[in-house]
Amino acid sequence: MTLELVWPALLGLLLAGYFVLAGLDYGVQMLAPTLGRDDGERRSLLNAFGPFFLGNEVWLVAAAGVLFGAFPFLEGRLLSGMYFLFAAILAGIVVGNAAVQVRSRHRSASARRIWDGLIFVGGLVPAAGWGLVTGRLLAGVPLDARNAFSLGPADLLDPFVLLCGATTTAVFLAHGASFLAWRTGGEPSARAARAARRALLVAAVAAAAVLVAGYLSPARHTVVNSWPALATGAALVIALLAGAALLGAGRGGRAFAATSCAAALPVVALGAGLHPFVLVSSGAPGTGLRLTEAMADAATLRILVGFAAVMVPLMLLAQAWNWWLFRHRAGRTPTYL
Amino acid sequence: MTDETLARLQFATTAGFHWLFVMLTLGLAPLIAVTHTRHALRGSPLTERMTRFWGQIYVVNYVLGIVTGLVMEFQFGLAWSGLSEYAGNVFGAPLALETIVAFFAESTFLGMWIFGWGRLPKAVHVTLIWLVTLTAYASAYWIMVANGFLQHPVGHEVRDGVARLTDFGAMLTNPNAINALVHAASAALMTGGVFMAGVSSYHFLKRTAERAFFRASLRLGLFVATPAAFVALYYGFVQIPTLVETQPMKAATLRGHVDDIGSLRVEDVQAQLVQRFGAGDYRPPAWIATAFDVMQDVGYLILLLIIVALILLYRDWYLRFRPAAYLMLVAVPLPFVAALGGWLLREVGRQPWAVYGELTTAAARSHVGSMLASLVLFGSVFLALAIADWALIIRYARRGPADTDLGGSPPDGHAERPAASLAL
Repeated sequence: MTLELVWPALLGLLLAGYFVLAGLDYGVQMLAPTLGRDDGERRSLLNAFGPFFLGNEVWLVAAAGVLFGAFPFLEGRLLSGMYFLFAAILAGIVVGNAAVQVRSRHRSASARRIWDGLIFVGGLVPAAGWGLVTGRLLAGVPLDARNAFSLGPADLLDPFVLLCGATTTAVFLAHGASFLAWRTGGEPSARAARAARRALLVAAVAAAAVLVAGYLSPARHTVVNSWPALATGAALVIALLAGAALLGAGRGGRAFAATSCAAALPVVALGAGLHPFVLVSSGAPGTGLRLTEAMADAATLRILVGFAAVMVPLMLLAQAWNWWLFRHRAGRTPTYL
Repeated sequence: MTDETLARLQFATTAGFHWLFVMLTLGLAPLIAVTHTRHALRGSPLTERMTRFWGQIYVVNYVLGIVTGLVMEFQFGLAWSGLSEYAGNVFGAPLALETIVAFFAESTFLGMWIFGWGRLPKAVHVTLIWLVTLTAYASAYWIMVANGFLQHPVGHEVRDGVARLTDFGAMLTNPNAINALVHAASAALMTGGVFMAGVSSYHFLKRTAERAFFRASLRLGLFVATPAAFVALYYGFVQIPTLVETQPMKAATLRGHVDDIGSLRVEDVQAQLVQRFGAGDYRPPAWIATAFDVMQDVGYLILLLIIVALILLYRDWYLRFRPAAYLMLVAVPLPFVAALGGWLLREVGRQPWAVYGELTTAAARSHVGSMLASLVLFGSVFLALAIADWALIIRYARRGPADTDLGGSPPDGHAERPAASLAL
């Protein structure tokens, strides 16, 4: 049935969009407080993503909505199973999102520095958190007979999972830096390009280490489709190296395209690595919650698909319109953020 | 405290903070859209300054609305996974539609509106704030459809212990959703109007230079708040017969506080429910009647204050009669108090049910270990951010339109583009 194709594709699209767009936010958030030498520079760095910031974050909201509407039997298991991890990610996003929007509403330099610190934390926590989620999902979770699970912090102390967290942190950092290099001008842009090249090389090393750790650890057995997962990992390393090379050649736009691919690849790795499962058991490889078991009733999906057929193209158009209207590079004068 | 209590407290904290900010968002958005439209049509500097001043407060208020809304979205899966397990086929649909039909578009368009000052053609810019307003109310509709299902589950059948959607139309027209939506939306509009009138009164009391500006704001606020308050009141009472019919226990708990609940008594309903669902305590806490009283009494008080203020608008008596300005200033927090009372009645009054008559709150909750830690985490983060955000709102409100950041200087000295660039 086509519904079984449409909904995973839509969820994947929304999640990948979230990783690419909010990923650049998190990268810029981690960089702006230190890359900007004075308050004016920090403001102009933040204003580089200004018009897109609110629109970037809501891809997560849309992905969560589709998860709940179309995959209700995954939603509850996944979120409650990784409870403390998702709570930390959400708290990080809440703090960072608010900090970005209110930091320049304060007049005093000291208040702005406090918010700058929270902007950084609010970028770092979700950037690392989504890598840990991805890594744990690929390496499997301790499913019980009802395909439910509950993780403790110790379940994250696994070399493969930790390396995944380090990789997304470096990838998002590099992605944000390449965005800044592309969208700003002058000295800050050059500084962002240098930061991006360093971060891209670190991310490439981290991604390669994920592949090695994945091969050496039990994750090798839990990943259902090991070759596609491996290929995605290799593609990640290549995209990161390509981004570094393009930045070196002064091709800012193309480098950003490369880092965008890199930011989306963790989502591809999940889909390619786990299909036809959405949760795999770490204890009993080859078993888990199947995609078909996670999805809502056909009656529900049919109703939702009608709305989605109209709304998703409109959503994408609205986002494209936003990028088109604000396509001109951010100037030196701070706008709102 | 049990984990269930902690989970409920966490949900109430998230939802409570969310609504405190969303209510003002919903209330101010149409007022700003109207002002912005007037500016676009006539081009008067006054309406432009009004749009920017109230828009600035709106945008700062929106910050907390969106971040608490994000956590709300995840609360169900995090702490109430039994809900998706049982009702995911039904309950997830309106929430999914809320995100892709409304929330997503609202944020995208608001970002464009904030940064569009001096960059976008006027017609496009005004269209954006109307889209923001429209999607904000669409969002409220879908949320109330989801909440209405929890209050009075319609449009589904239960097979193999799992709810399945059979009649989407019934869900979309659930009286428990629609009447409550009109009630909450008009209360939000009233809140926006009272807020405008209250902030304007502050400037009259301080005798600031912006007399004409705040006179216009006061009139707009009161002209919207008055009809909105009557609608909110009327749709409060409209809900009572539905309550008697669909949630007799909640209605019976209000005995002595509401007139038209017929012969319902808590003991009788308890006996009926035991007969129907087996042994158990089906009574919500008795204090929900106090929550009801707070909502109703504060609501009447607001209505009275608005009407007095409205009469005093005649020949600008209001501007000369300082006690009136004091009363309107005091009125600003009142709608928020009334709204919290209303939500406590609606949500706590549904206990012990998560889905009324079908799934208990105890059965709906997730079995997770770190509930206390996350409650402390979210509670302190929300509280700190809310205080910081309110402080900013108060500061912008006090400093007046001369000190507004929104739409400040056009970037790079670009003047507003000619209307010719409408042809995109």
